[in-house]
Amino acid sequence: MYVTLYSTYVYQPARSIRGPQSALTDFLASQNISAARIRADAQARREAAAAANPESNTPAAEQPEQAGEEEDGSDDVVSGTSAAAAARRARDQKRRKQEEAIEKIKKSKAYKKRKRFLNSDEEDDDSLALALFNEKMTPLPGQMANCEMCGKRFTVTPYSRSGPEGGLLCNPCGQKLAKDEDANKKQKKKRVPAPKGGMGRRKIQSRILDGTYDIGAKPLVTLCIETLAKNIHLADDIGDLPLPVIDRIARLLSKTRLLNSRTLDLFLQPHHDDLKVYDAAKLNSDDFIKIFQLIPRLKKLKLRNAIQFTDRVMQYLTSRNMSLESIYLHGANLLTEDVWAEFLTQKGVHLKELQVYYTDKHVSDKTIDTVSNMCPNLTRLKICHNQEVSDEGIMFIAKLNKLEHVGLQLMKKTTTDPYIHVVQNIGRQLQTFSIRKVSDVDDRLLDAIHENCVSLSKLRITDSEFMTDAGFARLFRGWKNKPLSFLDLQKCRHVDAANPRSNEHMVGLCSQGFEALMEHSGTGLRYLNIHACRNIPRHTFEKVFANDKTYPQLRYLEISFCENITDFIVGCIFRSCPNVKEVNVFGCMKVKDVRVPRGKLLVGVPNAVGMRIEGVDDASD
Amino acid sequence: MMSDAPEVSKYVTLVSSDGFEFVLLREAVMISSAIKGMLDPKSQFAESRTGRCVFEEINGIVLEKIAEYCQYWYKYKDSPNVPDMDIPVELCLELLQAADFLGLDRQA
Repeated sequence: MYVTLYSTYVYQPARSIRGPQSALTDFLASQNISAARIRADAQARREAAAAANPESNTPAAEQPEQAGEEEDGSDDVVSGTSAAAAARRARDQKRRKQEEAIEKIKKSKAYKKRKRFLNSDEEDDDSLALALFNEKMTPLPGQMANCEMCGKRFTVTPYSRSGPEGGLLCNPCGQKLAKDEDANKKQKKKRVPAPKGGMGRRKIQSRILDGTYDIGAKPLVTLCIETLAKNIHLADDIGDLPLPVIDRIARLLSKTRLLNSRTLDLFLQPHHDDLKVYDAAKLNSDDFIKIFQLIPRLKKLKLRNAIQFTDRVMQYLTSRNMSLESIYLHGANLLTEDVWAEFLTQKGVHLKELQVYYTDKHVSDKTIDTVSNMCPNLTRLKICHNQEVSDEGIMFIAKLNKLEHVGLQLMKKTTTDPYIHVVQNIGRQLQTFSIRKVSDVDDRLLDAIHENCVSLSKLRITDSEFMTDAGFARLFRGWKNKPLSFLDLQKCRHVDAANPRSNEHMVGLCSQGFEALMEHSGTGLRYLNIHACRNIPRHTFEKVFANDKTYPQLRYLEISFCENITDFIVGCIFRSCPNVKEVNVFGCMKVKDVRVPRGKLLVGVPNAVGMRIEGVDDASD
Repeated sequence: MMSDAPEVSKYVTLVSSDGFEFVLLREAVMISSAIKGMLDPKSQFAESRTGRCVFEEINGIVLEKIAEYCQYWYKYKDSPNVPDMDIPVELCLELLQAADFLGLDRQA
């Protein structure tokens, strides 16, 4: 359109220059219709209508203003009496003033704001402007007005409320109105969440992340335990419930931090030989001693957050005629090295399991030495988040020749050799080998595991910055060990802040290592964690989770921050792993929109929905 | 029902120690592994023939709650967002024991 216009302008230079024309004007011009013509037609029509029935009043909306004024003028002539005319003129003047004021209001900022807020359409414009006008005309504080509801005269204050029709209300009426509104609001609030039932979206997502999300009703036992835990203050005795149920009650109480001296008594049954306290933070030293007094036959003790498990408690335990087989202590920082040594020397022969978590100073290399000399029957040793044990301590572990499960998470830097020493000496019978945060440990350990370990079912090596793809491939190729059921190699990858993209020496778990591990253990794996092994290429994933491969045991897969995971690969994973419950894909930016089979979880998709489960989607849509 | 033909009745009866009877959908009581075992035609128990399960250790009040739970479970079998059933506090321990006995401790 514009082009043709321009060309006519070029060929007819005499034509006067105008501003831009609208498309409608152009269209009308092409139909030979002009604005002047329309105006003339309308005028003619109006005159014709006026001539046809001069008595009838056409509706105001259709009547142009000028015509209205003319009519008013003619009315003036007809009515004649000057007094009435004067009154009418005064009223007209007032009305005109009001109209002007309204026009002004319509241009004002406040009006536009309010209009945007109400989002009203064109028809409401006038009424809105009128309301604003009336508002301006309402009496100011200190003036008198009549109440809109009861009609009484009262003094306006800044707190006077406006009634439903815009007028002001006297104080009693205003209060009554406020009360009614409050009641309405409360009713509405109550009504909204009720029909939803169950829990909200937030709660559901929280349970998905906790891994406690399931379809269908909760088991009755769970419901009862939850009710019991909520009302534990009413219970005197939990009676003769089976152990697993008691354990679940204990867990739930600890979760809500309800376990204290009083509720502890419920769990101290003299005929039991097993006690698990998941949150002992509120217990004092005397409570711990009470445990040993009331349960003389105790064999297995598990205490988390046992801060007040002090020297005094341990000395009491050492002096009693008790033979604990399993100790799990978490956070017992007040126990000194000497008392540990004393206990281990006296009671170490009976110990089969020793697990110590979160200690800063007092479980040291010396303590491990004592363990290796005094606890010949130890099958499980776990030392986590320890700030004292170093390479020297690890060497002592090699002396424990009945050990089957080793778990270490040491805060001091450790080297490869002590671990190799352990694996060479006791690797043959090891079922669990778990070392965390071992940044300096290299391929030689993998080779040692390949040569010595034949009964491993759980293997964890995390955060290694030196192990290479070739090392992992050598470990898994032709390994005499049966397939692993638990494997965690998270963050075994190349780290170089200056040159993060290149990985020339194939550091970390990459293509060959991953293929070899799935080849060896794929059939038995239940848990696989390759979090942040980011150099595994896309085609390897596609090959490993190809059409003809199935991994029937796999329940849990953690592939977060593996950069090359795509929607297609996640789909392949769900196809190849029919029993998988949960797949974590945090930070896999190429995962966008995957169809998740019903009953399975995909956690951490990087979009606004975050994570989802099929079935929920269907229900909400 | 008296014949040897496979159970045709859609309903089963649970009887409490004090003689209260609760008639329930057969599918609904299948959540309880214990009752499921009793009603299994292969088990040769008397219950599998008559469709009547008598519980000498469970009284009427508790069994009523159990029956209510079975229906509740059946109703919400496949729904993802289930409101919790109300458990009266005074019944809690008895009900917990009965639920444990009947094997109501895991999702189907």
